[in-house]
Amino acid sequence: MMLLQTLIHHTYFLLSAVVALLLLTRLFRRKSRPGLAYDIVYAYAIIPFILRALHVK
Amino acid sequence: MSDRALVARRAALLMASAALMVVGTQDIRALRAYRETVVVSEAFTRQVPLSTYFDGIRGTLMDVPVFAFDSGVPGGSVLILGGAHAYEPASPVMAYVVMENIAVTQGRVFVIARANMSASTLGMLGNAYPPFFRVRTPWGEKKYRIGDRETHPLEQWPDPFTFVHYPSKQNLAYQDSRNMNRTFPGRPDGNLTERTSFAISELIRREKIDLTIDVHEASMGYPVVSTYVCHERAEELCMMAAMMLSAEQFPMKTENSPKSLRGLTHREIGDFTESFAVLMETPEPFIDKFVGPMTEALMLTGKDEFMQTAADRGLLYAEYDMKTGATLDYRVGRHLAGAAEVVKQMGEFYPGKKVLAAWPTYAEVMEKGIGAFLHDPAGADPSRVFRH
Repeated sequence: MMLLQTLIHHTYFLLSAVVALLLLTRLFRRKSRPGLAYDIVYAYAIIPFILRALHVK
Repeated sequence: MSDRALVARRAALLMASAALMVVGTQDIRALRAYRETVVVSEAFTRQVPLSTYFDGIRGTLMDVPVFAFDSGVPGGSVLILGGAHAYEPASPVMAYVVMENIAVTQGRVFVIARANMSASTLGMLGNAYPPFFRVRTPWGEKKYRIGDRETHPLEQWPDPFTFVHYPSKQNLAYQDSRNMNRTFPGRPDGNLTERTSFAISELIRREKIDLTIDVHEASMGYPVVSTYVCHERAEELCMMAAMMLSAEQFPMKTENSPKSLRGLTHREIGDFTESFAVLMETPEPFIDKFVGPMTEALMLTGKDEFMQTAADRGLLYAEYDMKTGATLDYRVGRHLAGAAEVVKQMGEFYPGKKVLAAWPTYAEVMEKGIGAFLHDPAGADPSRVFRH
């Protein structure tokens, strides 16, 4: 059970990193919604995922 | 816009986000990294990690130091448990004042100042209070973390939909899976908070602790404020201690631990170990929901106009006057006296479990302030200075 919990816990950080990477990719490489407002949203939305992946918050 | 200009704009926005991350998390990182110092008294005999009693927490932030003060004279043993709820700082500060000033002439005293170290490294979401508070001493300021109630999600996450307490199987709120005072007696293969509670239960069993004193603070709108909450085996100790305190020092109530309320130290330590289990609460306006700005000053003085309004309307469960508030000195002094009295009563009722230990009294703390009892790590013997 401890192993399972540890695995779930670390998967959570891994998922944060994956989402951060996805947002980062979409910030620079996307075909739809190229406007400034969307750039800001992508750049801002990435923050919590990076902070969690880096074990800051 | 050209492709190059687009990339430059997006890179600039990403840099702005990075700057926001660095600046916006300064307090968060400082709180996580900061270590409190304690200068233990000459009665100090040894310090061991909590994982000595249960290996399942080794290498985690919960593997906190356990400090022992052993007189070498046969007698009883006491465990003072501070910081199970980190955002009740009179608890760890009381433990520090004990550690810095204790003299033991019979029996043994164990102290854990930060039982849930992880909880002390984050603030409560939405409450916007400062990460630290400072206590003035004759040699400068000593800084302490305020912390949160529950284990940091960086150490334990995600929460279950419903937390099922072990071993009672009682259903509790999801966040209680990270609440140290809902996870006793602990579970060796449970989540980190449960494993830490189990390690503390193991300490109590292996060291044959006769009396466990879990130190807390309560909001004044909570009926159990200014109270001993005691397992039924400790009932007579608490009754006598509360009577003595109320007659001689300050109002103190006592209550028996409810049998249906699971996971709390006063219930589970009493049920699953041989120790007498006692929990103490002081009034802490800072954690009441209806106070004004949650500032460092409120933490230190407990003076709040909304609290006064609540008191005027008879909504509080303890006496309150904004002129005096509920200072940290008062709250720590109460805990020091509360612990001393219940230890004394254990010796009166059970002479074989007698512990003779002295630390600053309520009157001394009220007269001089707790700063007078906190020592300068810079001028102390390095072998007695610990970072915590």
